[in-house]
Amino acid sequence: MTAEGGVQYSKIAEIKGPLVIVDDVENAAFDELVEVETKEGERRLGKVLEVGNGKAIVQVFEGTTGLSIAATNAKFVGKVMEMPVSREVLGRVFDGLGRPKDGLPDPIADRFIDINGEPMNPEQREYPKDFIQTGVSVIDGMITLVRGQKLPIFSGSGMSHNLLAAQIARQASVIGTQDDFAVVFAAIGVQYNEAEYFRRSLEESGALKRSVLFLNTADDPAIERIITPRVALTVAEYLAFELGMHVLVILTDMTNYAEALREISAAREEVPGRKGYPGYLYTDLSTIYERAGKLNGKKGSVTQVPILSMPSDDITHPIPDLTGYITEGQIVLGRDLFRQGVYPPVNILMSLSRLMKDGIGEGSTRADHGEISNQVYDAYSRAQEVRALAGIVGKAGLTEIDLKYMDVGDVFENEFLSQATDENRTIEETLGILWKIVSKLPKNEITKIKDKYVEQYYKEE
Amino acid sequence: MDERHPLASNSLEVTIDKILKNTENDVLSNIKTALDDSQQNLDDSVPKLEAEYDKILSDGKKEAEKIEKQIMGSADIEARNKQLMALEDAVDKVFSKALDQIANADRSGDYSNLIKTMIEEATQILGTSEITVTTNAKDKDVVQSTLSQFPGAEMSPDTIDCLGGIVVKSKDGAMTFDNTIDARIERLKPLIRKEIASKFGVGE
Repeated sequence: MTAEGGVQYSKIAEIKGPLVIVDDVENAAFDELVEVETKEGERRLGKVLEVGNGKAIVQVFEGTTGLSIAATNAKFVGKVMEMPVSREVLGRVFDGLGRPKDGLPDPIADRFIDINGEPMNPEQREYPKDFIQTGVSVIDGMITLVRGQKLPIFSGSGMSHNLLAAQIARQASVIGTQDDFAVVFAAIGVQYNEAEYFRRSLEESGALKRSVLFLNTADDPAIERIITPRVALTVAEYLAFELGMHVLVILTDMTNYAEALREISAAREEVPGRKGYPGYLYTDLSTIYERAGKLNGKKGSVTQVPILSMPSDDITHPIPDLTGYITEGQIVLGRDLFRQGVYPPVNILMSLSRLMKDGIGEGSTRADHGEISNQVYDAYSRAQEVRALAGIVGKAGLTEIDLKYMDVGDVFENEFLSQATDENRTIEETLGILWKIVSKLPKNEITKIKDKYVEQYYKEE
Repeated sequence: MDERHPLASNSLEVTIDKILKNTENDVLSNIKTALDDSQQNLDDSVPKLEAEYDKILSDGKKEAEKIEKQIMGSADIEARNKQLMALEDAVDKVFSKALDQIANADRSGDYSNLIKTMIEEATQILGTSEITVTTNAKDKDVVQSTLSQFPGAEMSPDTIDCLGGIVVKSKDGAMTFDNTIDARIERLKPLIRKEIASKFGVGE
């Protein structure tokens, strides 16, 4: 940071959607921060998207409503957008651009970091293999999250993903280590009551002191949403790689982010890709998701749980589709389970954590974890088939073993999947319920678990 | 009168005895079975009760831990917030005192050199020497005398409200460079705040 400020230009050529095109600009830089000043002296932040031929295209984060060509000035600040970071950001609530929203002063900064982050050297990446306990049985037991992983939640409009996000933020912890743990929570384009819920939920549970909240509400300008995940990740990287903390970043809702990107793309008159999203949506999403991980020689880690609501529950929609290519698995919420009143309504048959196998087992969770999880997955899958069959032939047409599988399906949904929003289950409790489910089956149906574990944990009913 | 057959009387007694005996055996057996059942039920309930007892204890412990976390968490946050507000108060006081000192500083000596450096910086950044310079009423004379060293530069008849320094505009009005002391302080404010806070032992 220098004392020199930037030049203010007063020749505005055009204002188009969220973009301001400034004329006769010299020496502007790509991504440079711009302060746009209105006739009334109000200042809005923006950044340079394109420079050339004496023009600069500036994307105004806070929208261009009320700006006029004649009375608007654009000051090129001479630096990229930076986030002030220090340990003091823990327990604070910021808006989508990283400005305090809790009535407290700006944090005293230890450093100012470019919000675009520095790419992680692939060679320096360490393979993620340490368990994070979320206290949510279905995640811990069957779609285990590991430190440094990026595991999105695919949800649908109106489903309980925000409840789940808040519960994970409140309960998540690392076990078997004394290392510090922190949660960075970025709400992107959420309703005011949801933002309030997240804030209150963390405050009342006492989890706020180890959390940082970024709240961009639905009535904030859409363009701000481009910045929110980036400032959140900047803070997360600082906490992880400078202060050695294990950081869980929850980004909800990435669909709103992608829509903001589409808005800018349309204003720039770019050739639209699938469903109007820009062709670089994949690349853009990867600049966010790839900021998760662990680095050799560094103590901390950044784990990401981006949440996205699939328009019309369509998993082939470009946003979940492209997200799925980048991330390491997915947690899919099911509309049927949600309608049945199951919380969290996770459809395990469509969900997967690709790094689970490395984060569970002896030394991490428990030696039988992988096998009991596979057995329950298999049994629930069979239960679904039996339910479909019962829909055709009726319950009377089912065999005794089929009925047992139906029972397994019910116990799975009612006792394992269903959980109160304030119920924090340990991994031992979770595995205990998984064994209870398996114990509904006769021993000869248990084909995926070693005998020694069956002897130890199976309790026939 | 009522003469009974001796055998009949004896047989009746035997029968009654037999019935009584059987009933007694039945009752005793029932009592024993009931006792055994009760004992069995009691034995069966012990692990269930123990499990229930353990669950109640563990739920209670979890609840207590949750409440402890809540209380500790909000107390920590409240204490931290008060500390932040106190620190900000102190920083503001230092700031306002420093700004007062700057505003009332003597304009002789090195100040004209500072103005000269500021104009040089501005012409370099704007890329033109055809400029109009605006300053506050207090600095007008110092700036006016310095401008003689910059051909193409002229003094604006207007004045601005600032602590010191200059605002430089290209003559075509397209570009402006704010090099007032206020603007420079504003730009460096986060670093100055950090510096002041470190004097109070924060952020070291």
